[in-house]
Amino acid sequence: MEDRILEIMREVFDDATVDTSCSQSNCEKWDSLHHLTLISDLEDEFDVEFEPEEIAQMRDFNAVRDVICSKS
Amino acid sequence: MKYFIFRNQTIEQFFGDKNCAYSGYDDITLVPAEAENYIWFYQMPVNSDSRLLSREINSFAEKLELVATSINPAKPFIVFTLESLFTLRLTGDSLQVRISIDGFNRKAIELSKVRPNVKVVDLSEFTLQYSADQLFNWKFYFISQTVLNPKLAKDFKIWWEHIERELALKRKKCLVLDLDNTLWGGILGEDGPAGIQLGGDYPGKAFTYWQAALLELGKNGVILAVCSKNNEADVFDAWQRNPYMVLKKEHFAAFRINWQDKATNIQELASELNIGLDSMVFVDDNPTERELVRQLLPMVEVPEFPQRPYELMSFFKSLVEHYFQVYSVTSEDMKKTEQYKQNAQRRAAQASFTDMDDYLRSLEMSLHIMSVDKFNLSRLAQMTQKTNQFNLTTKRYVESDLRQMLADGCRIYCVSVSDRFGDNGITGEIILRPMDATTIEIDSLLLSCRILGKGIETAFINTILNLLADDGVKTVKASYIKTAKNAQVEDFYDRMGFTVTGVVDDIKHYQLQLADYRENKDYYLIKID
Repeated sequence: MEDRILEIMREVFDDATVDTSCSQSNCEKWDSLHHLTLISDLEDEFDVEFEPEEIAQMRDFNAVRDVICSKS
Repeated sequence: MKYFIFRNQTIEQFFGDKNCAYSGYDDITLVPAEAENYIWFYQMPVNSDSRLLSREINSFAEKLELVATSINPAKPFIVFTLESLFTLRLTGDSLQVRISIDGFNRKAIELSKVRPNVKVVDLSEFTLQYSADQLFNWKFYFISQTVLNPKLAKDFKIWWEHIERELALKRKKCLVLDLDNTLWGGILGEDGPAGIQLGGDYPGKAFTYWQAALLELGKNGVILAVCSKNNEADVFDAWQRNPYMVLKKEHFAAFRINWQDKATNIQELASELNIGLDSMVFVDDNPTERELVRQLLPMVEVPEFPQRPYELMSFFKSLVEHYFQVYSVTSEDMKKTEQYKQNAQRRAAQASFTDMDDYLRSLEMSLHIMSVDKFNLSRLAQMTQKTNQFNLTTKRYVESDLRQMLADGCRIYCVSVSDRFGDNGITGEIILRPMDATTIEIDSLLLSCRILGKGIETAFINTILNLLADDGVKTVKASYIKTAKNAQVEDFYDRMGFTVTGVVDDIKHYQLQLADYRENKDYYLIKID
């Protein structure tokens, strides 16, 4: 699952170097707009729906993974 | 910058950020000259008061016109139609809203008729593919103010690329038509003028519709010509005598009705009409003729012809879409473009936005300036966290920070802005830190990008500076701290009359001696509490 998340993040941020340390504070491309694209793509990929509170939490790779884990 | 997009919602997901720059939300004041193309992509705001909603939509048409007049007429201005992306029939009269939407779209089409650079793109071509639930999603609306579901972004991009291609496509000028089994069913030389299939029941009816559609195309500036292997006299006879004939001799600019090969005929037509072969489309039911023309005249477009007469209307639609799209600029339009260009240069000598004050006046803006209190404290802290673009120092605070600053003697003001379309709530904030009895420093100054472009930032700071002068403040210090997002306010203090006192790293320091009372434009109604 981590790989699938990373793959989507790399695609959304158009950056092949994205790894598990990626976060909103260290990734310049991860602004509010790319965040929305990321959320929308993750929802489709994992067939889940995130709540706005969860979307606000998902600010780094680990948080993204944790929220998705909590859904499956 | 390939495109500059005027918008009133979050749409960056749909157009991306590679080639595009975006206006502020509903901000029409900035028209960057360096853009190659301009786009208008306004969509319906969410408002359950249908009367207000309808007024706001009506105002879009006025704004569109204002923008269209200030854009260089030599540059394309692509206007997307307004679509009803969601219905909010909670209260009131949804028909009123419908009428306003139609009014806007009509306005866009009218503009495209008088301004050759304006091209209207029918967004419903895209939206009609989806159900209401797919188009609009409240969750994404609330977290990012997007009225088009971001899940459609990929599909939208594909559709938009298709439209871009159409817009870039050179419009063909001339449609060369065969006759037998193309404009009518059957063979004139064998069936006679009364025996060909035209009019009456199917299949004759299909050919009549097809001819009528072609006639319309001719009226819209496409040159129609005939290239047919027939006896010319037979064809003249049929044109004259068959009562169902829609397309007759007078509708064709030129014809070659003879037994010569079609490639030669088409070349002759091109020189007779004085147009290039690359602006011709040849339509013939006979695959051998099509192949001949493709081989000998590769610059002529030769589409496949439908097998069955009932397919003619779809074929017509694809012909128009591929070769005669109304989006494109014709040579006649080019001439108009040249005239517009000259007019624009004349106008450039005057102020580029002569109507701007009238427009701003019409908004009936009112600014309510308040001190911080327990009701707005959390909103003010939140704004320091979220505001990126119009933020001079981008210092992030939480509620307890603000309380501490108040305890330290700082003054915090905010501004709530409303206009004739409604109340935007608190959208601006300034934090002032006293240095000594007559000196104060602006710690933070920020405004929500939603209200930019209406001069509110100027009215707000002028009012605050006047307040300070009244309180005996003589000197105001300020600074600009550069971030990745706040380039638009890089020279804000310069424009407000501050003097640069020093630049250290990415921080510009300013100072202002308060002197005269600072006048605001008379159309802002300003209330201070």
